[in-house]
Amino acid sequence: MRKCNDEGCTEYNEMSRRQFVTWSAGAAFLATVVPPWLPKIVLAESFVANRDVIISIFMRGGADGLSLCAPFYDIEYYNGRPTIAIPRPDSSAATKGIALDDKFMFPQPMASLVEPFTAKDLLLIHGTGSIDTTRSHFDAQRFMEVGKPRDPSVITGWLGRHLASSTPVRTNAPLRALGIANGLAQTLVGAPQTLPIPNPASFALGGSATTRQARMDWLESDYLNTPDPVKSAAVDAAATVDLLKVINFTGYAPANGAVYPTTSFGSSLRSAAALIKADVGVEAVQVDIGGWDTHSAQDPLAGSMATTMSQFSTALGALYMDLVAGAQTQNVTVVVVSEFGRNVRENGSKGTDHGRGNVMFVMGKNVAGGRVMTQNFASLARENLESGQDLKVTIDHRDVLAEVVKNRLNNAALSFVFPDFVPTIRGVTR
Amino acid sequence: MNMPVETELSPDDSPVVKAQPIGPPTRVGPRSNRRNFFIAGAAAAAASASAFAIITDKSPRNPVGDPGTTAPSSIPGLNDTEAWGSSELRLARHITNGLTPEEAFLARTKGFKGYLEYHLNPDAIDNVSVEAFVATTYPQLALQGTDLYALDSGLLQRQLQEATLFRAAFSKRQLYERMVEFWSDHFNIAIAETGYLKMIDDRDVIRKNALGSFPDMLRASAHSAAMLLYLNNNTSRYPKVNENYARELMELHTLGVDGGYTQTDVSEVARCLSGWTIKNKGDFNFDPTGHDFGAKTFLGNTIPAAPGTGAAAVGEGDKVLNVLAAHPSTAKFIAKKMIMWLLQYDPPQTLIDQVAAAYLSTSGNIPAMIRVILTPANIVAAPSKHKRPFHFVASALRGLNPTVKGVAAIAGTRLALLGHQSFFWKTPDGYPDKVQFWSGLVMQRWGFGDYLASLSTGDIVVDPTPFMTVNTSDGVAASINVAMFGGEMPARTSDALKTYLAGGTLNAARVRETLALAINSSTFQWY
Repeated sequence: MRKCNDEGCTEYNEMSRRQFVTWSAGAAFLATVVPPWLPKIVLAESFVANRDVIISIFMRGGADGLSLCAPFYDIEYYNGRPTIAIPRPDSSAATKGIALDDKFMFPQPMASLVEPFTAKDLLLIHGTGSIDTTRSHFDAQRFMEVGKPRDPSVITGWLGRHLASSTPVRTNAPLRALGIANGLAQTLVGAPQTLPIPNPASFALGGSATTRQARMDWLESDYLNTPDPVKSAAVDAAATVDLLKVINFTGYAPANGAVYPTTSFGSSLRSAAALIKADVGVEAVQVDIGGWDTHSAQDPLAGSMATTMSQFSTALGALYMDLVAGAQTQNVTVVVVSEFGRNVRENGSKGTDHGRGNVMFVMGKNVAGGRVMTQNFASLARENLESGQDLKVTIDHRDVLAEVVKNRLNNAALSFVFPDFVPTIRGVTR
Repeated sequence: MNMPVETELSPDDSPVVKAQPIGPPTRVGPRSNRRNFFIAGAAAAAASASAFAIITDKSPRNPVGDPGTTAPSSIPGLNDTEAWGSSELRLARHITNGLTPEEAFLARTKGFKGYLEYHLNPDAIDNVSVEAFVATTYPQLALQGTDLYALDSGLLQRQLQEATLFRAAFSKRQLYERMVEFWSDHFNIAIAETGYLKMIDDRDVIRKNALGSFPDMLRASAHSAAMLLYLNNNTSRYPKVNENYARELMELHTLGVDGGYTQTDVSEVARCLSGWTIKNKGDFNFDPTGHDFGAKTFLGNTIPAAPGTGAAAVGEGDKVLNVLAAHPSTAKFIAKKMIMWLLQYDPPQTLIDQVAAAYLSTSGNIPAMIRVILTPANIVAAPSKHKRPFHFVASALRGLNPTVKGVAAIAGTRLALLGHQSFFWKTPDGYPDKVQFWSGLVMQRWGFGDYLASLSTGDIVVDPTPFMTVNTSDGVAASINVAMFGGEMPARTSDALKTYLAGGTLNAARVRETLALAINSSTFQWY
């Protein structure tokens, strides 16, 4: 049995405990300060954080970047959206936006992200996206996730290839990455020791405790005879049971008074934070948030998009307080993408149809944040738009991801992570 | 889809099941067949770990790259399926939600062609007891829009999900139910966004046409209130048309994303369909005041400007549907997708062409296409597929053959834990049918096997005693082989089950655990 009793797994626990103590208050408080959700074994070992843990968030459905980060300076924005535009920050409307600079604003449902922006830990990049012009959700998501459009031979995800081409942070880590979802996102396909785990708090075999180990061993042995990817999933799952059972997710206490919303997305980020702080060798977490396909009744101030934005920003804001704000040193970088933006002009259903250029978010202590990065971001007049309808893509989303991979994930194999692509380094990281 | 899953599997002990003398075995199938069963005695070879190409997959026929399913002549689960000698039973695995002794008997006695034809004529299959159960337990399924509208949407959702699972597991019309599932994903509609209208769509679009004519189903879908609402065509009005339905109509329902249409075609088709909306509670309505009467061109077809034609302009949308239904790209797209569902992940181009030709020559007759797909040669050559969670759950129910009063807990909580509640996929592409999407959920599957085999009271009662008629390790393993594997359980699985049975006191609790292991075994995940 390769269980938690052997060297590897004990090692993770030891490091976690020690590291937490180092972060918090020092060994003197050991007996009383260490929270009960952390693994229980203590032993000193150095922790070398030569790279960040990455939390990759995909907004499924084509999030409307012109509501998430709206160009209030541009009259064309208001002309194109007579019923769904966000009032200017200098207006007297109760629903007015929150200025980020002299051009862009957050709508009020995004208010939870003002603090990370002001603290220069949150960077927005506008006019990003894929170089491919598809307006199909499914093609666009696939092209973004595999990191190369229109090449059916690329079958793995960019984050999967990053993990496949980098040494594990923890030797023999049973779980290097997870998607908090019911299926494995394309972004992570190809990653070793990676599973979709919808709820890390309940990852174990049921039934009689007396026979549980014997049944687990039976299954693990049985699946050695089945082909991949089923076999490797079973092997990883068996090892992950031991990894996760020592973490008390339910009792997890976030730092800095952070309160995660009890939404699906909020719970996912809370679990991600608990896993990262437990320091068990998880290097990447993929989380999806859906509900962005706002073809009708979008209303970013009171409609469906306001709700979705609020779920997004409050959860991400809590993660910021928990892992990044103040003196936190969790070495985390968060990237947020969506498959495309939406049409500059609203449709007849007070919604927006599929578009092109969009906004991305990158958050972390070593992100060159506090600004909205753009490249030739023109007025939204029809003559400046792609197909006369959509914000142009002026920054390839892979430029942003590649810089994070290189500088924050310490992986120089960019031509492997993003095949046939030479990124422009734009100063996303500090 | 992907709703927040608040329910947690309890790691606590399940109630101890006491071995008790229970009545004679009732539904473990025709005993007379047992002598026909055999277990192939081939020794299990070492696992053939398929190479997992990191970036590129050189296989030209495998554009999306399904690791482990690329070699046409090698079979995933090679060791697992080497015992699968009978082409009839291979067919039965593909066109049912899981082998039972009854299906194995039918397949063997009717022969390949006879068995397929039997399932291609579902109306001729006696299904009275199942239909009676559904009609009694889920009476809302028969209601029309106005009556449905008055009812609680949560109730309706549960009724439809439970009826869907019950039929998938227990209906005698198994191929029909497999095709219902296929078309429910093809014309996916999220029930959370459409409520009672999905009830009507399920009955009058999907189930009505699942083994009928594809163009008929396409037209029914285009007139379905649930679809019009789900993809926003109900609010697509001149001059600001909504492209959502028009795009998915071509990308997902007919031509396929590479089927040769442009963004301009999307806009033009949306204009043709402007004014297609809903009236009353679930009825189709064409509203000329919302229609764009200007000239249009789509896919090389021209529709002249027709101001003043009024209600007759509904014919523009009809023309769109006719053009799409007759389009060669649609034939290819539907052919490939049906092959991928019924036969293998990675279809040979020659077969796609044959099935597409059958589509075109029969105006999209679904059984005609199935006859081309499911031949003995194709079945024997096809690599196995991995069961999706819904399929896995239905096959486990079929294999254990429990006493069933209802399936609420499985259709709801349990399938939610497995990420596969019916009609919960939010986006119009439907639940994926890819092994790499689902294979990671192995722990969740194992949890389900434990749960199901442990049920001893309530809506579902699993009785271990029929498996203990010959109460030895060999006897129990042989009963499991008959009940769940059509007599073709691989020797390594059988041996491992016997070892587990012999590892403790042979009582009902041990047998229940062994049933869970059989459900959770790697062999049982493939078909």
